[in-house]
Order: sequence, then C-alpha cells, then structure tokens
Amino acid sequence: MTMTHPGLPDLWLWFVVALMLLAVIWVLVRIPAKSSEQGFILIERIPVLGQLARLFSASPWPLVIFKFISVALFLIVIAAGLWGTPIPERNLATTLTWTVWWAGLIITVFFLGSAWCAVCPWDTIASWLVKHRLWRRADEASGLGLKVPKAWRNVWPALVMFIGLTWLELGVGVTTNPYATAVLSLVMIVMATAYMAVFEGKAFCKHVCPVGRTVGFYGQLSMVELRPRHQQTCTDCKTLECYHGTDEVEPCPTHLVMGSLTQSTYCTSCSACTMSCPHDNVGWRLRSPAAEAIQHARPHWDEAWFMLGLLGLTTFHGITMLEFWEQGLSSFGRFIGDSGQLIWSFSAGMLVVFFVPILVYSLFIKLTQILIPVEIGFKQLFAKLAFIALPLAFVYHIAHNLNHLIRESRGFTEVLLNPLGRGSLPLSSHELHMRHMNPLISEQLLYGLQAGLMIFGFWLALQILQRRTMEALANEASWRAHYILPGITFITGITAYNLWLLVQPMIMRM
Amino acid sequence: MRIIKISLVIVLFLLGVVSVQAHHVLGRPSYSLGADSNTPPSLQVETQIGDFYVTYMAFPAFPKPNEQGRVNLYASRIDNGLPFDGKVTFKVNDDSWFAGEEEILGVQNIDDSVFRQGFIFQKEGDYIITAEFESGGEPYIIDFPLRIGEPASVGPIGITVALLIIVLVSVNVLQRKKRFSLKAKRAREEDQL
Repeated sequence: MTMTHPGLPDLWLWFVVALMLLAVIWVLVRIPAKSSEQGFILIERIPVLGQLARLFSASPWPLVIFKFISVALFLIVIAAGLWGTPIPERNLATTLTWTVWWAGLIITVFFLGSAWCAVCPWDTIASWLVKHRLWRRADEASGLGLKVPKAWRNVWPALVMFIGLTWLELGVGVTTNPYATAVLSLVMIVMATAYMAVFEGKAFCKHVCPVGRTVGFYGQLSMVELRPRHQQTCTDCKTLECYHGTDEVEPCPTHLVMGSLTQSTYCTSCSACTMSCPHDNVGWRLRSPAAEAIQHARPHWDEAWFMLGLLGLTTFHGITMLEFWEQGLSSFGRFIGDSGQLIWSFSAGMLVVFFVPILVYSLFIKLTQILIPVEIGFKQLFAKLAFIALPLAFVYHIAHNLNHLIRESRGFTEVLLNPLGRGSLPLSSHELHMRHMNPLISEQLLYGLQAGLMIFGFWLALQILQRRTMEALANEASWRAHYILPGITFITGITAYNLWLLVQPMIMRM
Repeated sequence: MRIIKISLVIVLFLLGVVSVQAHHVLGRPSYSLGADSNTPPSLQVETQIGDFYVTYMAFPAFPKPNEQGRVNLYASRIDNGLPFDGKVTFKVNDDSWFAGEEEILGVQNIDDSVFRQGFIFQKEGDYIITAEFESGGEPYIIDFPLRIGEPASVGPIGITVALLIIVLVSVNVLQRKKRFSLKAKRAREEDQL
C-alpha cells in the first residue's frame, strides 16, 4: 500500500507568494552597498553554549568520544544492513541512514556548520587505520603523503559522486535496501582509507566526498563559523601553527590558514586549529547566515557547478515524487526497449532534469552579461552568481527532508532497540496510517516551517544576486535595478517550481 | 532520427505535467502486510517488460528451507490492462558466480488472472526465479531474486577487509622503499663528501 504525505496547503502557498512579491519590490527599489562589515558574536561569550564550545576547543577528548559513538553507530548500521531484516522500515541501516541522518544532516548544517565532518565515521576509521592515532599528530611515514594531482584539485569528483549517490538513492533504491546501504558504507570506508593512505591531509573530504562537499557548500549558509578571535593576532603571526600544525597537533587537513579564511567550505571542524594555535585565538562565532555566500566566498568554476548541481539534484528529487515521472519513465522505457527497474530510462531522465536548471541559469547569466555595463566573461559571471543556487537548493532540501523526518522517523526507538529487525514484520496498513496521522510535530507547524524556509531561501538568493551583481559593477552610482531582472526571474522561477513541488502530495518512503 | 524521437519524448514527458500524485519506482522489492490479514508477510516486485506490467509476489516473504512457499505472477498489457493468458514457465537457478544447471519448477496456466507456482527449497541460499512466456512471437524472460533462510553476508566484509589490507600493505611497502632509497641516497652523498 502506498501512503502519501499531504502537500503544503494553498493558504500557506499564497502567503509565501505575497511575501515573495514584497521581497522583489524591496530589492528593486533598494540600492545595495558594494561591501559591508558583517557583525558577529563570539560563542564563548554566550552562557552554556560558550562553555560547550570551550570544552571542544580546549581538549581533543570530547571530540574523540563523539567519534567513538559515531563509529560504533556506523558499524551497527553495517551489521544491520548485512545481517538484519530486508524490511527497510524495521532495519537500522535504512532508518538511521536515510530517514534520520541524511534527512537531519542538512538541517544541522544551518546550526552547526560542518560539525558532522568532525565526527564523520568513514573519515575517522580511515584516520585510525592509516595513522594509528586517536587524535595526535601521526608519523609522516604513516601514508605516502603525495600531493593531489593538479587536475584533481577541485570538486568535480565530489560532484560526480553526488550525482552517483542520487542515482543510487532514487534510481536503484538504496534508501529502501538495507543490504545496499551497508555495502555503500563499506565502499565509503575503502575510498576514504585509500585516499588518506596515498594523499596528504584529507584529500578525500576536500575533493571527493559528496557528503562533505554538500555540508561544506551548505555551510556557507550556516549561522556559525570557526574564525580568529582577533584578526590582528593572526595578521602578526609568523609561525602559522594552524596551517603547519605542532609536534602534537595535526596541521589543517584541508590546508586552510586561519588568518586569511573567508569561507568555511573546506573546513571540517576538526579542531586542529583551535588546539594548535599558541595564542588561543581561534574560536566559534555566531554570524549572519549566508554572510559567506553573499559576500565573502570566492567564486570558482568547479564550485559553481557543484552549487548548481545541488540545485539540479534537489529539483530532480522532487520530480521523482510525482506520478507523471513514473508514467513518463514507463513510456520512455517502452520506447527505448528498457525493462525491469528502467535504469536506462531513469538515468536519461535524471541527466535531462539535472541539466535543465543549469541551462536556464546559463541563459540568465548570458542576459545579465548583456545588460550590465561592464566587460565580464561568461565563465566569470557564471561562477560569481552561482551562489544564488545555494539558498534555493538548501531551503527546498530542508523543507522536503522535514516531511520525511517528522513523519517517517516515528517508530525509530523500536528500531534502535532491535537494530537488525529480528522477528519483525513489515508495517501493516494500520501502522502506516498511524504514522501518517501522528507526525512528530503538528502539521500546521510543519507547513509554517516549510513556508518560512521557502521565503527565507528566496530572500537570501535575492540578496546574493544584488550584492554579487553590484560587486561586478565599477561603483555604486552605476547601479540600475534592471540589471538583476534576469536573476530575479530565475530565482522566482526556481522558488515557484519548488513551492509547486511542496504543494503536491509526497510518497512515504518507508 | 532516433535521437530526435528520444528528445521529443523527453520534452513531452517533462511538459506533460497534469495529474500529480506520489510514485513508486518499478522493479524494487517491497515487503507488505495487510492490517487485517493473518497471512504471512509477502515480498512484492513490480516491473515492466516490453508490452507488459508484471507483478511478482512471494509467500512467505522470508521462506525457510523445507518450507512450502508460493510465487504468484500477474502479467497485464500496458496498453489495455488485459491479463496475459498463455502459459508461464518458472525456472530456478542459484544466484552465485558458479551457478549449476537451471531447473524447471513448473509450467503454469492462468488461474483467476494469476500464475501460481509452489516451491520447496532444501538448502539455504540466494536463488533466482525466472518466469518465461511468449507473446506476439517475442520471448519474455523475467528474473526475480528469492532468499531462502538467513542471509550470510560475509562477502562484502571479506572484500572490504581484503581491499583495506591491500591498500595499507602496498602503501607501507612503498613507504619503506622510499625511505630506503632516501637513506641510500644520503649515504652516497656522505661518501662523496
């Protein structure tokens, strides 16, 4: 029996549309500043949170304990996937990985940045296997320590991996297959270990890991960041322990220098810099969300593709939840002689849907290039404005995941108590109905959150568009509102489409 | 021409957004249990092949050795929904790299729109049930997985451990070689001095 989640009610939809209209008017009327100082609050000054942040910065052991917990859970997931029940809703491998972790991870990025990467189990296992250390600096001979070849020093491998993960998730159905989930986990361990054994630092996290890069890019929209407490201390620093490490502490695994850090994309929150800094000058701070995406992050061609890839794949995720997708897949499968799981038809459809937003984006870039009165290359503008894709993808991703999380994580305690699902039966239609009727939070609150997220993402995307377009101009006096009209059309189109997706009923995955 | 046709279908398929409901992707196994039913859980796979939608159900979902089980197969035409009414041959084979000979389980006629095939397996393991029929002069062969007994998945763990050992040992050997040649180079340099 197939159950569906109800979509966003019309009342909420029109509420969002009205706010979107107001936001568009506001950005058309307002002249943006070319640059501005972003305020921040040191988390250490906030009661409780500050003590917690200090605890993690001062000693490696709290993080090590969390790593042990994360690895233990990961190993249980593998065991459950390999030896547990194949019923996905009764197996910890599928429920923890896809319903709780994958759905919840994106939400945590907003509040905790790349904290996940600090306790990531496949990276931890790889570190322990290669370096033979819990946290201390490893012997230089523990791995080959080769430099990553120049051609690989980008996020193209991560983008390919992310496309592959989405293909496995939606095309092959890994999310409902505990065994395949366990095999995927083992593949991640092997890849992370091989990369760590061969290359220096955390090359796998920086260039290959689809989860790490997704967290990294979405991290630009986070409300926290790891930065110097006093910029001048870093400016005066000649020893750069954050970069080189100390006798005890590892150097930054992704080669970041704290004093010149302007974006957290490649920060893995490993705490090496907080522990190695002799001036105790590195700490967590609260900031305005999206400060990086709006102003500080530097544009790069490969990173722009990754951000647009996130947008294309979240959009694709939504499309596969609609009936016309299945009907079209079936017709196309018959047309090309595909059968069984219709993998070829699915792959062709996925490629098309992935590239459509990117083609539309390219068109908007071309129009903007024509409109603005400065000479700027297509590639340069493409990379510069790609940051608008981030909030659009991020908010839809969270809004969609909230639905899975609050409706399908019911019964997770039972799965925790019986992770292998021994002796359990599939969900009966009565249980399915009860899950459907009793979400973790009230439906109206869920709709409110989804609507709020959509307007938040729309608003951030407009701000990024305005600021980044202004950056491309010679000065503030040359600003004209019509320069951003193609961008506004793109942002509105994507948001309207994502809203339409949210309005549709969505299938319960488990 | 074929590319144009494929592109046209893709475009039409993307534009044809009219009715909206949730989906399931064909061909993935799912397990079900009715709310008011006392039947054991069943494994169900829906798939599409040529002109037919085929639904396969196995009872019970988790059969054990020497336990009576049954496969139900429904095949209906995609264009008009009419059931296929010929004969279906059910075969079985080991799902392993060195599988033995395929065995015929039976040949079944339609009975109330269903092709039913009983089975009893004596040994635990992963099997492939193959359903074969012919329609419009074309052969249709559909494979479905069936697990008998408890899974014994040491395979992926074994492969993972083996790969990890190969990687770590190779790196270790290379690293030793590197250090050794570095030492030898230094020694040569010292001799020259």
